[in-house]
Formats: sequence, structure tokens, C-alpha cells
Amino acid sequence: MSAIKDTLILIGDILIFTKDVFARILNSPFYPGRLFDQILQIGYGSLSITIVIGFVTGLVMTLQFGYGLAKFGGTLYVPAIVSVSLLRELAPIFTSLLIAGRVGSGISAEIGAMNVTGQIDAIRALGTSPIRVLVVPRVLATILTLPLLATLASFTGIVGGLLISYLEFGMTAGFYINKVLSTIVFADIFGSMFKCAFFGLIISILACYRGFHTKEGTRGVGNATTWVVVHSSIIILISDFFLSKVILVGFY
Amino acid sequence: MEILRINNVHKAFGEKKVHTGVSLSLNAGETIGLLGNSGTGKSVLLRSIIGLEQIDEGEIYYHDKRIDNLDEEEFYEIRRKISYSFQNAALFDSLNVFENIAYPLFEHTKLTEEEIHHKVDDILKVINMPHAKYLMPSDLSGGMQKRVGLARAIILDPEIILYDEPTAGLDPVNTDIVIKIMNEFKRRGFSGIFVTHDIPSAKRVCDRILILRDGKIYFNGSVEEFNHSTDPFVNTFGSDHRGQHAIP
Repeated sequence: MSAIKDTLILIGDILIFTKDVFARILNSPFYPGRLFDQILQIGYGSLSITIVIGFVTGLVMTLQFGYGLAKFGGTLYVPAIVSVSLLRELAPIFTSLLIAGRVGSGISAEIGAMNVTGQIDAIRALGTSPIRVLVVPRVLATILTLPLLATLASFTGIVGGLLISYLEFGMTAGFYINKVLSTIVFADIFGSMFKCAFFGLIISILACYRGFHTKEGTRGVGNATTWVVVHSSIIILISDFFLSKVILVGFY
Repeated sequence: MEILRINNVHKAFGEKKVHTGVSLSLNAGETIGLLGNSGTGKSVLLRSIIGLEQIDEGEIYYHDKRIDNLDEEEFYEIRRKISYSFQNAALFDSLNVFENIAYPLFEHTKLTEEEIHHKVDDILKVINMPHAKYLMPSDLSGGMQKRVGLARAIILDPEIILYDEPTAGLDPVNTDIVIKIMNEFKRRGFSGIFVTHDIPSAKRVCDRILILRDGKIYFNGSVEEFNHSTDPFVNTFGSDHRGQHAIP
């Protein structure tokens, strides 16, 4: 019972924190410079790994589906299957888990270290809001950049699929691209971006919240980063099921 | 003229009662020293004044305005008038010295970048660190970090500065530099509360000495009265009668 009570208190605390963040997003002053810095750090900093993950996923999926479906004469369906799987599920999930690990842990470690060294108190003592200064730019930057990164991962995955389809299965580029374009619909792209924006919110809020509540010095910072990666990954995977259901029912 | 008044403040952390009725006042232009054994809540009292800690009972007034019951947003205005110099300096480690000192100016003023540079250059001369403008906090010694923390605390021209052990852990040379800076601030009209264990420094800077004991103000008097006190507990803090009385 105590664990359930603690969990409910934690959820309530995180929801209040989220409400405070949104209240400050809507109120001035706004820090465009800090937002731009975070977009660069989160978005630009994750570009190379996102491209690699998307491209390799496209290569492997095309290879597996290509040889698997060849037994049934279904190789021609590979472009459609690969593009839809990447856009709807694999790219959003892989990219979000990547960002949870790379960015979520980084945010919680940075804010956690600031907390244990008194820098958060210093921001408050200097008459400014740490939520406005530290949290709002990070939350907005993650919400804005994660959908774009996932779309990039989908694109590079489809390019990877094109390469394997041409080299392994003798498909022409024109046929592959035509199949992809005739399969994917606007709802695939919108659904992917919507899910990623939600996952971005989850990752950044959990990371900032945990950073603000870091105790016990450097050990606490380590614990905070682990907590953020584990919890945001679990929430991403569970909420993906429900979001997929909503998108499938609502937009197709 | 009284600018800060603390009335019967109580504060506890769980079962541990830290303050059980602290009352004191601070006059304009005055610096008071707050002494007490470790763990008696000296720093907690400073943090309570600017709302970094919530008090459980009592009142805190700044110029007759009650401030202990303000919410976080309302406190931001007060914190521009009552600044806090942290014990560990609490510099932003990803910003250089200039950015640390200029942070409040960028946040709260409409000064141009050139004017901000000018103001920071001036204060760097006061703390005797004109060469350190673009160094990172990790490149500074402990004493230099504390001086930068002091500079950041006064850059907005506050009315009151709360000094949380600014000389703790410093060698005699750096201690002397910090005390000279504090006296310069005092000469410029800033009021202050100086939490310290460093009695000689307190005597050099303060107009009055207060001692916290068992959650209350045990002693409140001028440096002269502190020096000539015959109270055994006060004597342990280094009055001129130190050593003549033993604590039972």
C-alpha cells in the first residue's frame, strides 16, 4: 500500500510540475536564445546518431522482409511494408528511446548537478525562476526537435531500404519510390510527429523533474539519470500502444 | 531606520527544531554578525529571509512589508533588494566570471551590453580581479570564487546583503581581501547580515554581534559589549574575557 501511495504522490508531483512549466511557457519573459541553444544541443547534437539508426534499421528490415517474403513471392511488397513500419512505429520509438538515453540523461545530470551544488538556489536567489530559465527551453526544444529527428530517421530508413532493394532484390529506384509514395499517407507522418512530440514532453519533463529533486551529491546525480532513462523508456513504450490506437481510430 | 525585522520565527525540519522564536532587526547601513555553534540554523535563517526556506511560524518584515508569506513569484522582487552570498559561492559553472556577475543585469535591467561590461569591469576592480573576466569558475581558487559570488550579489545594488560564511575555508590573505571588500560594501551604504565562525573578521566588519543558541537569539549587543561580556557562553566565541570562564 505504501508503494502505491508513494507512486500516486510522485505522479501528482510530476503533474503539478508540468502545470508550472506550462504556466511559465505562456507567461513572459521568454528566452529565445536559450531555446535556440537547446534546439542545437538536442537536435543538431543528435543528428548523426539518428541518421545512422534510421539508415541501418531500413537496411536490416528490407533485408529481413525481402528474403522472408521472397518465399511467398511477396518481395514487391517490401517498399510498402518498410516505409509504413518505419514511419508509424520504428522510427518514432527508436528515436525517442535514443533521445531518452542521450538527452534525458544529460538534462537530468546537468540540472541535478546544478541542484546539488546550490546553483538552482542561486538562480532563485538572484530573482529568477529556475523553471523559466532551465526547464522551459529544454521542454520546448525536446518537443520541437524529436518529431523532426524521427521524420529524418524514417527518411534515412527508407533510403536504406531503397539501397538494399536495388542491390539485393534488383528493384529499380523508380519502382521503389513509387511504391513508397503510393503507400504512405498524411496520417502516417502526422501520427509519427504527434507521438514524438508527446514522447518529447515525457522525456524532458521527467528529466527536469528528477534533476530538480536530486539529492545525495554525485551519487544522486547518477541515480537520477538512470531513473529518467528507465522510466521514460517504459512510459514511451506503454503510451505508444494507446497513442497508436487513438491515431488508427481517429485518423485512418 | 529599521529595514528588516524578524519576529518570533520558528522552523523545524521534521522532528528537529532549528528555530524556536528567533527575533532580530537590522537598521539601514548596519552590518550585524550572526554567530552560533554549527547546526544552530544560522544559514537557515538567512535562507528564510529570502524565501529559500519556508518558516513554520513568526513574521519577517522588509520595510514594514511582511515577506515571509509571499509566494515564489512575489519573492523574486524582494530578492533583487536582499541579495545572498552563498557559502560555496554557487557560481554557474557553465558560465564565465563576466557572465556570472552580469547574469542579474541581463535578467533584470535594460542596460546595453556595453553598459553591462562597464559595470562588471568596475566591480571586478573592487574585488581585485580585473584579469579574471573571462575565466571559468573551475579556473578560480576558492577565495576568488567567493569574491565573484560577492560581486554577483551586489551588482544590482541591493539594500541588504546576506553573507553566508564568506571567509570559511580561506587563508588569512584571502580572508583579509574578503573583509576589505565587505567593508567597502558597507562604506557604500549596503546593510548586511554576516553569518560566520570567524570572530576576528566579524569584529572588523560588524556593528553588532548576535549569537544563536537553542533556537533563539542568546546575545545581542555591540562589538564593545561582546568584547566585555562576562557570560561564559559568549566568551567561548572570543570576547576579550575568553578563557576566564569555563562552560559548565
